[in-house]
Amino acid sequence: MAESAETTSDVLLESSLPAAPLESILCTEELQRRPSRPPDYEKENRALVKLVSALADSPETILQTLAHTILEITQGDSAGLSLLTRDGKTPDVRGDRFYWPAIAGMWTPHVGGGTPRDFGPCGDVLDQDRTLLFRHFERRYHYFLPVTPLVEECLLVPFYVAGQAVGTIWALMHSDRRQFDGEDDRVMASLGKFASSAYQALMHIDDLRVQVAERDKAEAEVRELARGLEAKVRRLVEANVVGIVMWNLEGAITAANEAFLRMVQYDRDDVASGLVRWTDLTPPEWRADDERAVSQLQATGVFQPFEKEYLRKDGSRVPVLLGGALFDRSGTEGVAFVLELSEQKRAEEALDRARAQLTHVARATSLGVLTASIAHELNQPLSGIITNANTCLRMLASDPPDVDGARETARRTIRDGNRASEMIARLRALFVKKESTTEAVDLNEATAEVIALSSSELQRNKVVIQSELADNLPTITGDRIQLQQVILNLLRNASDAMLDVHDRPRQLLIRTEQEDGNCVRVTVRDTGVGFEHQSMDKLFDPFYTTKVDGMGIGLSVSRSIVDRHHGRLWAEPNDGAGATFSFSIPRGPETIMAAAPALGH
Amino acid sequence: MMISPSLVSVVDDDESVRESLPDLVRQFGFAAEAFSSAEAFLASDVVSETRCLLLDIAMPGMSGPDLQQELMHRRQRIPIVFITANGDSAIRPRLLAQGAVECLIKPFSEAALLDALNTALRMR
Repeated sequence: MAESAETTSDVLLESSLPAAPLESILCTEELQRRPSRPPDYEKENRALVKLVSALADSPETILQTLAHTILEITQGDSAGLSLLTRDGKTPDVRGDRFYWPAIAGMWTPHVGGGTPRDFGPCGDVLDQDRTLLFRHFERRYHYFLPVTPLVEECLLVPFYVAGQAVGTIWALMHSDRRQFDGEDDRVMASLGKFASSAYQALMHIDDLRVQVAERDKAEAEVRELARGLEAKVRRLVEANVVGIVMWNLEGAITAANEAFLRMVQYDRDDVASGLVRWTDLTPPEWRADDERAVSQLQATGVFQPFEKEYLRKDGSRVPVLLGGALFDRSGTEGVAFVLELSEQKRAEEALDRARAQLTHVARATSLGVLTASIAHELNQPLSGIITNANTCLRMLASDPPDVDGARETARRTIRDGNRASEMIARLRALFVKKESTTEAVDLNEATAEVIALSSSELQRNKVVIQSELADNLPTITGDRIQLQQVILNLLRNASDAMLDVHDRPRQLLIRTEQEDGNCVRVTVRDTGVGFEHQSMDKLFDPFYTTKVDGMGIGLSVSRSIVDRHHGRLWAEPNDGAGATFSFSIPRGPETIMAAAPALGH
Repeated sequence: MMISPSLVSVVDDDESVRESLPDLVRQFGFAAEAFSSAEAFLASDVVSETRCLLLDIAMPGMSGPDLQQELMHRRQRIPIVFITANGDSAIRPRLLAQGAVECLIKPFSEAALLDALNTALRMR
């Protein structure tokens, strides 16, 4: 129905007039009874050829051309097409109405109008699946009443695509100046077939248009993506945070960023000239690694990062880490990122040096403390020896000589001499050892020695020391002196932490015990000032100290010593006053040695 | 009336000192008593009789200087000769400034001990 016909006035008309029955407006059979014009095949052929060439030249206007052709051949007053549609403007075979995409003749102003599928002449044609001739169809379909001029006769022909009805072509007479006849029926059938082809062509063109639009859109997206990606890649390359180099498997370097060039000290011209080859940048002893990387590339398209060295332009070497990939797995060109390790290596070395210095300082500091302890411990028996010897001489020189007394003092002299000699043996055990030795260490013995060496200092600080050394403590494998340094350090720290304590006993508990998991643990617990939970992390940092005269290196060095023994050193605040420091050393190395008998004889 | 020898008290936590030193002091002709701690000496009945204290500096509990302070509080003017096994010579002037007669660094000679004792007893 025409868009203008969808108004309330139509509803009024429809309700006020009864709709005439369909039979009353059909007169299809008359077509064959009426006197017919002779068939004009020539005209028909000309028209069809014209239509076909129009379809080829300008498919967009083919429906309009078809409408004109129908008008011309049928000599009607109006002619046009109706197509099933859903939205009223594009063809759709699943549509519930018809629209008029093209009209020629007097009804031309009604282009775009249409009729319902289930109540209208076009629907009747599709229902009956044949050509129908209508007379005054507005008597049944009142919505045609306002569509002028009124229709005297309407010849309607359905057309199909792949057996499915898609629309109709029609010719109209608005007066009785002529009536459609058998010839019109024949020609319209032929035009209906053409309409079917034209419709398919249009649909195909539409599909193509959609496809082209979709392809253009996809291409634009890819282009956009590529542009974004390219910008990101360029940013990565030009940021020069890592060396980026492009190469081929033959050994050529095809491109490189500044960072890479700086590393190897070549310039852009060297690369452009093709004289710089990655195969030549590699020192001979790293060639095997390069070959491994190449076979990885050939197998998987990427090579895992590995460390190697490059020869610089001046012949010096630069340690690097590099990893990379082929652009295309089956290709020979690829890209690699290269990270200079010099800075990192230098930093590592500096760290090692600093650590060594720290250990040395810590050793010197604890040696100073040790020296004082040693002096004290040695002076006690020496003092006894001298005093006893003097007494002995005096007893012998008295009249009469006090032989018994002299014998007693001489015995005491010998005992004190032995005591001094034991002390010296203990010291030898501490000092004669080499820098770092690995041996079976009895941590009970080691702890007892440290306690003996520190006892005077602890006494001076009024610290009451209690030791709980576990029976049958297994030995561990390690450096006895270093471990004793750790114990000494923990004892000193505990003792120092209690210097300011005046309101409670200064108690120090040192305990050894065997832990689950084959570890031996040494615990030092004090009743000192303790530490805040939040400073726990900092305790082991070098130069962190809470002591006025402390250097803050003891715990840091202690931890590195314990780490070297694959152990663990930690601290916990006590529930009450003070803190508990513990370290635990696995008995591990023995098991490792036992598990590798092949290394022995 | 019999004149008893002057009493020299030795206070040292080191057993070998407590064993050896009183004997030598007696050989010098003095009487001698040994105590293992400052507290033990204060608790004894010889504080007022003691004419000289041979006093260790570093001891668990009350130290030598602590005892010196305590005696001053009690107005017990006993001459004190400190004896120490700690080789730190910096402590000596400080102790002398606080009124000690002498500070002997272990091991000390017989002569040094005798000199110190004589000086101390002359002060009475």
